[in-house]
Amino acid sequence: MSQRFMTRREMLKLMTVGGGAAVLAACGTAPAAQEPTSAPAVVSETGSTVNLTYWGSYSGGLGEAETALVEKFNGSQDEIVVEYQFQGSYEDTAQKFTAGLQADTIPEVVLLSDVWWFTFYVAGAISPLDDLAAQTGLDLTDFEPVLLNEGNRQGVNYWIPFGRSTPLFYYNKDIWAEAGLEDRAPANWAEFIEWAPQLVQKEGDTMTRAAFVHPNSASYIAWLFQGVTWQFGGQYSLDDFTMTMTDENTLRGAQFYQDTANSLGWALLASDISQEFLGGTAASMMASTGGLRSISETASFEVGVGFLPEETYFGCPTGGAGLAIPSSIPDEKKLAAMQYITYVTNPENAGFWARETGYMPTRISAKQLPEMVQFFEENPNFKTAVDQLPKTRAQDAARVYVRNGDQIIGKGLERIVVNNEAPATVFAEINDELTKAAEPILEDLKAIEG
Amino acid sequence: MTSRAISFPWTKRKHREWLLFGLLVGPNLALFSIFTYWPLIYNFYLSFVRWNFLRPTKPWVWFNNYIDTFTDAKFWEIMGNTLVFTVATVGGTLLLGLLLALLINQPLRFRDGARAIVFSPVVMSGAVVAVVWSYIFDPRYGLLDQILGWVGLNSPDWLVDPFWAMPAVIIVYIWKNIGYAVVIYLAGLQGIPRDLYEAARVDGAGAWAQFWNVTLPGLSPVAFFLSVTSILTSFQSFDIIKVLTNGGPVNATSTLILFLYELGFVSYDAGEAGVVAMVLFTIMFILTLIQLRYLERQVSYG
Repeated sequence: MSQRFMTRREMLKLMTVGGGAAVLAACGTAPAAQEPTSAPAVVSETGSTVNLTYWGSYSGGLGEAETALVEKFNGSQDEIVVEYQFQGSYEDTAQKFTAGLQADTIPEVVLLSDVWWFTFYVAGAISPLDDLAAQTGLDLTDFEPVLLNEGNRQGVNYWIPFGRSTPLFYYNKDIWAEAGLEDRAPANWAEFIEWAPQLVQKEGDTMTRAAFVHPNSASYIAWLFQGVTWQFGGQYSLDDFTMTMTDENTLRGAQFYQDTANSLGWALLASDISQEFLGGTAASMMASTGGLRSISETASFEVGVGFLPEETYFGCPTGGAGLAIPSSIPDEKKLAAMQYITYVTNPENAGFWARETGYMPTRISAKQLPEMVQFFEENPNFKTAVDQLPKTRAQDAARVYVRNGDQIIGKGLERIVVNNEAPATVFAEINDELTKAAEPILEDLKAIEG
Repeated sequence: MTSRAISFPWTKRKHREWLLFGLLVGPNLALFSIFTYWPLIYNFYLSFVRWNFLRPTKPWVWFNNYIDTFTDAKFWEIMGNTLVFTVATVGGTLLLGLLLALLINQPLRFRDGARAIVFSPVVMSGAVVAVVWSYIFDPRYGLLDQILGWVGLNSPDWLVDPFWAMPAVIIVYIWKNIGYAVVIYLAGLQGIPRDLYEAARVDGAGAWAQFWNVTLPGLSPVAFFLSVTSILTSFQSFDIIKVLTNGGPVNATSTLILFLYELGFVSYDAGEAGVVAMVLFTIMFILTLIQLRYLERQVSYG
């Protein structure tokens, strides 16, 4: 080949070809460019304000309640100004926080969900909060222990409960009455198996109304199944990250899920379970308490709720999100951020947030406030959710600590429920996949916790 | 094998020409370098390391990420999905687009309205389209269930049944993108000289013969252009699948780009995500080269 200059046309053509393909390829790894957040204010000057950015995942009705809290805080004092920036889903928020850490443009307060905070803890990206809490007078002993302890590693708190929820059993009271059932949630699955055929409606071979609806992997089936595994005496994993997906009782729970949709045939799987429930195409579901208010307000029928059904045991996980402070911001900013957290989680505001949304009141003393007592009287459904809270427990490491553990388990459940594959085969594969996915976390954990 | 370009002495004129070229191309080249070529090179590097976006170190693992990816059955399943999705969407868009274009090229009464309707999905947001279609597909209260009911068919559980989920995303993709193909075809149809048809008619060609011998060859440059752009956009299709099925049920509608997203941004495995990105890049690079080199020659530019 003799030497030759490329013609301009050829060169441009090559650039476009390479460019088009490269844009695509590049989007896989380059963290999305972040809009620069507000420039950090100099805080040492007296009389100046500290500007804080808060990244969260609440929009719609939840976003309004969140904004109200932020505004209330900004109005309550004149040293700190918080700006709430909605980032999208829990996943979006965590991804943007990751990208922000790389680009060094991070918020001072960040909302992280149950499956994400640990990733940042292991990376050393979020601050220990006990000293800050002591300085701002945040009474950690007044938090519901089951919620606070979830964000505690080796006696140190990293994650303050905020939008915390648990699953709840929701049922359509009209359909219940039509089927002649007692107005309550089933006490156990055996009872529900008896009731279910009366709740189902069919046109020929097609089920036009299911007794129950499961979410898919993207809408967190692995969270709801967490409680069911415990009810059957199984679990996803041990505290030391030993996976127990092939445990006999875990498999019995999976078999039950498969039966509901196949041999028993009264449950369906949908990407938006609230939609099926509200549309009357599913008579009941397990769903987050966080949707209690919006579901009750949207429904054209009366919504009933109850504790999750039992099997051998009662089992119900906690879930939702909490607040964290990045470790790489200046100390003054950390303190200001903690002042914000102290304010929005105080009993009065914890009560406000719970009443507005359906998330759990995270503070023990919030439940005794007169406005809460009155609210419980007017909203017995909400009282049910709060009464269930002391019976809940933190989730297994496999779902919340293993990166993507939630989706690995969720997709396994889809294979079992939708594809009708044998639970033992699927969960054996899932067990290996989770074990492999846990390896890097165990390495990192060893480095920071010894 | 010409060496004309350097056999000439480096004249002043030539010099100025290249300087102008540099000035004109420079800004673009800078943008491409920063936002395209650099990420591409960095991605190539990442595919050889183990990294989770958060750790301070990126240990070099040689070809381990490549071995892990290529020995993963899931990867090959997803390659298969990508092939099915691309062939079906590109084929569907090109063929149905041609039929629609021929139809609304006829002097019908509501032609302009029909054109607007066919094109309107193109300008809609993919996420919005996907949300609307997720209601249409619902087997219990969805529109499609009702329509199928009129002809006595039961709606499959489109988005939950692993067999029907892929056809569902293909339908939505074609519906959303066909308008673009139609508009380009229409432009192509306008560009075919009238006298060719007249000549054909004089020679006794019927409608079919006219279509086969005049319309189709006349449209070939347009069809070539569409095939290139359709393949490229189909490969990049993310929003519709992400919102409609998130790659599920299980992995039934997961394509390379969704797999890449999941590996990178959900599993935080930058190394394997880097490998998948390289695979995607290589496939598209080769496809584009083939298309530019060989197809271009066979196309009649009249």
